[in-house]
Amino acid sequence: MRLIYLVVLALLASPILLAPMAAAASDDDDEVDEEITSREFSFRAGDGVKIGDYRVELISVVSVMDGLIEVKVWRRASDFEDWRVMEDHRDASFDDGAERGGLTLTVIDIFDEETVRMRAEYRSDYGYPQKYVTERAMAPKNLPKLAVQTTVDRTDISSGDEVKVTITVTNTGNDTARDVTIQDSPPLSQFRYLAGYPPKIKNQLSPGESDLAVYSMVAVTEGEVNMPATVARYADSKSTIYSASSPSISIEIKPKRMPDLVLKVDPPVPIKRGGEGPINITVENNGDASAYRVEVKAEVKSDGKSLEVVKGSLDESFFEIPPGGSETYSATVKGSRSGSYAINLKASYQGDGEMIQKETAFEVTVLEREYKYLYYLPVLPILIIGFWLFRRYKEYKY
Amino acid sequence: MLNVLMLGIGQCGNRILDAVNRESFGGSSKLSKYYSRQKFPSRVETLAINTAVNDLKELKFTAAKDRLHVPNLHGVGANRSIGKQGFWDNREMIMEEIEKRGDFDIAFVMTSASGGTGSSFTPLIIHELRERYKNITVVAVMVLPFREEGSIYLQNAAFSMRDIMEVESDGIILVDNQYLKRLSGDIKTAYDKINDMVAERILFLIESLDSEMLSVTDLGDFKTVMRGGLGMGTLGFYESDKKTTSLTSAIEGSIKPGGLLYPANVYEDAARAMIIIQGSRESLDVDEITKSVEKLSSKIGQVFKGIVIKKGRPKVLSVFTLGQVPDLEMLYAQAAQAIQDEKGRKTRAKKQLDDAFAYIEDLEEIY
Repeated sequence: MRLIYLVVLALLASPILLAPMAAAASDDDDEVDEEITSREFSFRAGDGVKIGDYRVELISVVSVMDGLIEVKVWRRASDFEDWRVMEDHRDASFDDGAERGGLTLTVIDIFDEETVRMRAEYRSDYGYPQKYVTERAMAPKNLPKLAVQTTVDRTDISSGDEVKVTITVTNTGNDTARDVTIQDSPPLSQFRYLAGYPPKIKNQLSPGESDLAVYSMVAVTEGEVNMPATVARYADSKSTIYSASSPSISIEIKPKRMPDLVLKVDPPVPIKRGGEGPINITVENNGDASAYRVEVKAEVKSDGKSLEVVKGSLDESFFEIPPGGSETYSATVKGSRSGSYAINLKASYQGDGEMIQKETAFEVTVLEREYKYLYYLPVLPILIIGFWLFRRYKEYKY
Repeated sequence: MLNVLMLGIGQCGNRILDAVNRESFGGSSKLSKYYSRQKFPSRVETLAINTAVNDLKELKFTAAKDRLHVPNLHGVGANRSIGKQGFWDNREMIMEEIEKRGDFDIAFVMTSASGGTGSSFTPLIIHELRERYKNITVVAVMVLPFREEGSIYLQNAAFSMRDIMEVESDGIILVDNQYLKRLSGDIKTAYDKINDMVAERILFLIESLDSEMLSVTDLGDFKTVMRGGLGMGTLGFYESDKKTTSLTSAIEGSIKPGGLLYPANVYEDAARAMIIIQGSRESLDVDEITKSVEKLSSKIGQVFKGIVIKKGRPKVLSVFTLGQVPDLEMLYAQAAQAIQDEKGRKTRAKKQLDDAFAYIEDLEEIY
């Protein structure tokens, strides 16, 4: 039993015992037994770092999008010098790589046209790396720089409204921007594009020069639209490609503007029978668009001459009533028979290409003939009786 | 349609005329003149004539235009001489007032026989009417005074009646104030009552003469009746009440002394008579009428009979002229006695005064 335990123990212990042996074996394979260490550095174009006798300098970022940068690595007191374009996330060995006493560089990240993060592997005995700035970095660089600005003539629109988009590209750099292209967002479904789309810009922009592209579009739906940034791409003299984008714009599209006519009739004063009374009609546009070709038609429910229009007309037409505006007109009606007459007013008008109808109804009351002298009627018999009595009195008074 | 003139002369005449006018208003209410209308059976013109304004003012139902004041102080003081003079002075004015009322077929001149204005004006007016209207029938309605009222009244009655007879009136309807004695109550009510009775009868008479009668009695018949006998007559009237609907009793009631304006015994004293019977068709029984009229005519001689069919209770009016008026003789006797007495008193007074003056005959006033 005890033997089995020993065997098991031996088996368990064997990897621990074997491991140092294996390590010792692998160490035997390396020619140099110096340790390799790595560090990460952030570079700006023109920055350099000293690692032992090696100097690593970031010349420029060739392309952010393609992940290409240009570095120069050289060794002091030797003729080793290597200019190389490096690809993002790919190890590049300089002077046979770190294993052979050289350097291995890897681009970790390209932040923008100037800033890059890199990892350097090197022998640990090279000491602590030191950053420095090359003269080239401090010297002004001749680079184009474009500023893109997108503006819309208005952000508060209604469905159906036209929006003019102006894209202004200005070269604020000190070198000519070449191969300038702008890319507006793919056509937005919320708009119907009218003219000038896709926007085009001059191919080349000298320093200080600006160009603009204008296009117009019509809102077709409603809701909030975020117009994505407009991106301008350009290259410098070294065909380094840059891009610039405008801040995005949000446009709120409100529901379609429509005229909304309201017919208002001053409550007509009851007309005396046989008398005349005015009817004042006001057509108000409470909507937010003009009403065109407004026609008001009245329908009087009256038989024959019971209620007739003697002056003016209950029908009227207006070419345009602007939003918030109103039109007033009046007519005089004459009531020949007492009663209540319903008048239906119909307004038809055009708003946004379609005919709209509005109706309102009101009543004109023709009063019963007012016998004002009725009040005298009770007095009349008294007067007559009084007169009669007086006459009789006089007749028989001697 | 008869044209009737009614003259009320003097206070008494005025009042009878006023009663006639009130009767024509239909109601007995004092205010009837304010709400009602005069309804005469014919065209009736009334005129109240008086010399006393106050008497005219008292009238209630006579229109102001029908009151004629003859300006002669305030009355004539029961003096017929002054009255006659007053009439002569104003004759044209009075007659003009009458004439402007048109033509007339019959005139009733109502007056008191005893008063001043009435007794003096009436004969003269009758005379004037006769002169101016050719075919007019003039009947005087004379109210005799109480026999005890006084000598002047009696003498006025006596002389005026004689004057009227002389001017050939078509008759006198006598109304005796003695009648008042049968009425109870105060004197004013009694006077009013007698005036109303006269008015009622005269209007009934006019209505009857003017309506279509079954048996014809017209103005000519009335004239004939009035001209009979002494030319003096009276009116009897009876209206059946609920209890007595018998026509015989109604006719008899109308000729009873109690129903007459002047108390007389019709069966003995009447010269001519006219009986006007008014009633509804079913109440007018031929038998009853014939028997009653026969009974009357057997005594009197001529009896005119008129029958008017009109709804209502039977009413009977009798018109009589008298063949003899014993009362009148007595009245004249009393009048003559009164005149004698007056004369005697006057002579005695004159003598007394003369005797008294004799004391101072040859003397002068010494101061």
